Amino acid sequence: MSKPSKRKREISRRKFLEGTGAVLAVASAAPKLKFPAAEADTADAGGLQPGVPTTNIRVVVNGSEHRIEVEDRWSLAELLRDHLQLTGTKIGCDRGECGACTVLLDGKPVYSCSNLAVWADGRTVQTVEGLAHGDQLDPLQQAFIEYDGPQCGFCTSGQLMSAKGLLARNPHPTAQEVRAGMTGNICRCSNYNHYVEAVVAASSGKHAATSTRGAARRSVQPVAAVSGGKKRRDATVSAGSAGGAR
Amino acid sequence: MSRPPILTPRKTVGHRTPRIDALERVTGKATYTGDMHLPGMLYARVLRSPHAHANIKQIDTSKALALPGVKLILTHENCQIVWGAGSVAGGRHYVDEVKKNTRQRRYAFNNPVRFYGEPVAAVAAINRHVAEEALRLIVVDYETLPFVLDQEEALRPDAVKIWPDGNISLSVKNEPEPEYYKRGNLEEGFRTSDFVFEDRYTTTYVHNAQMEPRVCVANWEGDKLTLYTPTQGTSNCRHDMARDLGIPDEKVRVICKYMGGGFGNKNQNQDVDLITALLAKQTGAPVKLELTRKEDFIGVHGRWPTTQYYKVGVNRDGELRALQLRGYSGMGPYRKNSGAIGGVELYQCANVESTVYPVYTNRAVSGNYRAPEFPQGFFGIESMMDDVAYKVKMDPVDFVLKNMTRKLNDDTPYSNYTLEECIRRGAEAFEWKKRWHPPAADSGPIKRGVGMSFMALRSPLGQSSAVIRLDSNGRYTVFVGVTDIGAGAKTTMSMIAAEALDTPMSNIDLVWGDTDRCPYSVGESGSRTTDMTGNAVIEVARDLKAQIAAKGLPKGSDALIASASPNPVFDGKVRKAFGAHFVEVEVDTEFGRVRVLKYLAVHDSGMIINPLTAESQIKGAAIQGIGMALHEDLLYDRRTGQPLTAGYYGTRIMTHLDAPEIEVMFLESDDGYGPFGAKCIGEAGIVHAVAVVGNGIFNAIGHRMKDLPITRDKILGVLA
Repeated sequence: MSKPSKRKREISRRKFLEGTGAVLAVASAAPKLKFPAAEADTADAGGLQPGVPTTNIRVVVNGSEHRIEVEDRWSLAELLRDHLQLTGTKIGCDRGECGACTVLLDGKPVYSCSNLAVWADGRTVQTVEGLAHGDQLDPLQQAFIEYDGPQCGFCTSGQLMSAKGLLARNPHPTAQEVRAGMTGNICRCSNYNHYVEAVVAASSGKHAATSTRGAARRSVQPVAAVSGGKKRRDATVSAGSAGGAR
Repeated sequence: MSRPPILTPRKTVGHRTPRIDALERVTGKATYTGDMHLPGMLYARVLRSPHAHANIKQIDTSKALALPGVKLILTHENCQIVWGAGSVAGGRHYVDEVKKNTRQRRYAFNNPVRFYGEPVAAVAAINRHVAEEALRLIVVDYETLPFVLDQEEALRPDAVKIWPDGNISLSVKNEPEPEYYKRGNLEEGFRTSDFVFEDRYTTTYVHNAQMEPRVCVANWEGDKLTLYTPTQGTSNCRHDMARDLGIPDEKVRVICKYMGGGFGNKNQNQDVDLITALLAKQTGAPVKLELTRKEDFIGVHGRWPTTQYYKVGVNRDGELRALQLRGYSGMGPYRKNSGAIGGVELYQCANVESTVYPVYTNRAVSGNYRAPEFPQGFFGIESMMDDVAYKVKMDPVDFVLKNMTRKLNDDTPYSNYTLEECIRRGAEAFEWKKRWHPPAADSGPIKRGVGMSFMALRSPLGQSSAVIRLDSNGRYTVFVGVTDIGAGAKTTMSMIAAEALDTPMSNIDLVWGDTDRCPYSVGESGSRTTDMTGNAVIEVARDLKAQIAAKGLPKGSDALIASASPNPVFDGKVRKAFGAHFVEVEVDTEFGRVRVLKYLAVHDSGMIINPLTAESQIKGAAIQGIGMALHEDLLYDRRTGQPLTAGYYGTRIMTHLDAPEIEVMFLESDDGYGPFGAKCIGEAGIVHAVAVVGNGIFNAIGHRMKDLPITRDKILGVLA
């Protein structure tokens, strides 16, 4: 039984969203996956807090169906990370600015920090954990590795899911279309060049190891002698990826 | 001692190598601190000051404590512990001597509070929602005080005194004195110059804004603390925590498996670590403290804002005769780092004086952000010199080639010198002679311009350690205390180990990020890990190979173990990495919009261990620098002292659509000191990236932009 609580407490930073969520919650007769309800005075992140409005939802995450009783105040990111143990989705800002928490909701990229868990009722969610098929990486994941997309890696899950959503609606984007499609995903390491190259490569079926561009990416040639030390010695120049499509 | 240079191709080093942890990072399996969950773990939140400067007259926590699920609340009333690294005399590294001398101490919770966002209380509760609700139930009675936000205004006689000693930060000797450097005779230099130019440049507070906000999990087992925290240096963090808590180092274990960037924001221990450890100790439960994005922006630290006054004497032929800098750095109310302004050392000049005042303000605290004192200083001085070149009618590249440093402070030789090579080869590849034109030469509303900047950045050697164990199955386990902030240290160390041991990388297992398992490493700060810990890996490999030669390979349950803690010293030289950046921009003079059309980054960072990740570092650093030049600022409301733009959106952090393509060219050289010839990279790409954009804009519109960030309104302002 769904039980959108009538009791409204001054409880949450998401008071507004919470109210909206309760309205949106639809009745579901599905048997629920019961989390151990925590005592009011003991700590358990997996538990429901007594007195807090909850809703039963049915959500398909990475192909698995979950029937869960969720607190109405939980964000989708919170549900995934704290209660389904899918911590690949990261929270960078928790307010819809950075895109680290991007997941696919019914195939479309959304910020999971800015969606309530109850809004996912009856819908499908794909997270970074659901990208690979067994040991077979998604071409995007493979390209991200080869083009060195992730530096610190904290934005990477979001970049991947955003790119996945982009390729679903535009299978062969130009570099500029990739930039526009992923501009809601900030990378403070600012490895934007490599992310864009990776997405373009993945969409064209080219991988760094086999592409002509990959081979051309490192050109080593002797240049004029460099001063210093007792004897003159050769230096080499290695050119990084030049230009690229703008 | 240096070894002879080696420039022949190698089996592993020098080859484009994907990160050893790339798979974990693209599958979501990499576990960052925020992903940790311990049984019975409490969640913590921090209440922060809503005032720039205020006395706390009273704190009433009774309602919050009565909320079911709230376990503990710490305030300045029940917690008086000094956070040593939060305020350090003279901005020096936090060592015992400095801790003893520091008079302007920072506590975990201070009264008075001296900036908007300063911690006032911390709550531990059963979940984050209860903790957040408890914050709202704490009643604080503040007596607001006058405040000052600008570093120059803070030195006026009528400015409020943030500390009883005044607003100039105290030195290690507890004296209110500036950082001072002098050589030659300044008056004589100006007197004998054909021209003397003076100008003023300002730079703003720019936040590190790493993607992973600060988070910490603390767990006590008996009298031993285990701290899971994203830190750039596990060893330093452990040492700082032990000092703050007054316990031996071995009673603290710091673990950092993965971390989401830091750019200097995660050096040392932070108050977050200290507060979490205290909450965990007193509640007897593991505690996780998570900072929100806004808290991270205003509660940790960012790059110090500066005001820079330059006076430059120059001869008709462009020869520098005298160079003077008087600078003011806004440190916030605590001296977390030096507040220096770099750049004077870039020039060859007989008569130089630099005076920099670290000044207290009631802004967010300043500290290390990727090359702490350089991007802002290089912007000031390289803009100034670009302007001088224009005024003496010289091509800026020719002016730089004439006046750039050849020895450090015209005195100490470099271990090798490739600056001229970087500039000449860069200018050639960029087709500088073809692209450069007199300022504001384009007639249309959209004007193009080119700019160049250059740099020399310290690439020091120093102590670091490594241990290798060889088992009878032929696998080498390399123990290094690195954490991999995103620069790829784990991969770099594996590559160096494989090369030094003459074995494929697949035979190397790396153990990292745990003070109980790994020896000392300098930490991912100051672009030092590759050089320092890399040299330790080479030395320990040499030892292990000698053992193998003497004893043979291990059999059965035997193992060979080698360890090394080299601390190389220099023979009267100084090591620097060199570089030059070239940019072409277009400025829309009707809308003030700046677009980077072409960007070339030329770097000599010695021999490149991993070209793939090294390129990522330079590209990312350059784009961060462009963001600092054009976008980023933590704006304050001058009436209330509240920050207005704390966050990605408000600060306009660079996005996919903002980021131009960066071309990277590495000139490789081996000075004989670094591991396989490597020098620093991580910070090298940002130090002159801000200046180059400003110089490009000048060439496009013919107006010198002297105040960062160079936003549209400022461009339209000078064109009006």
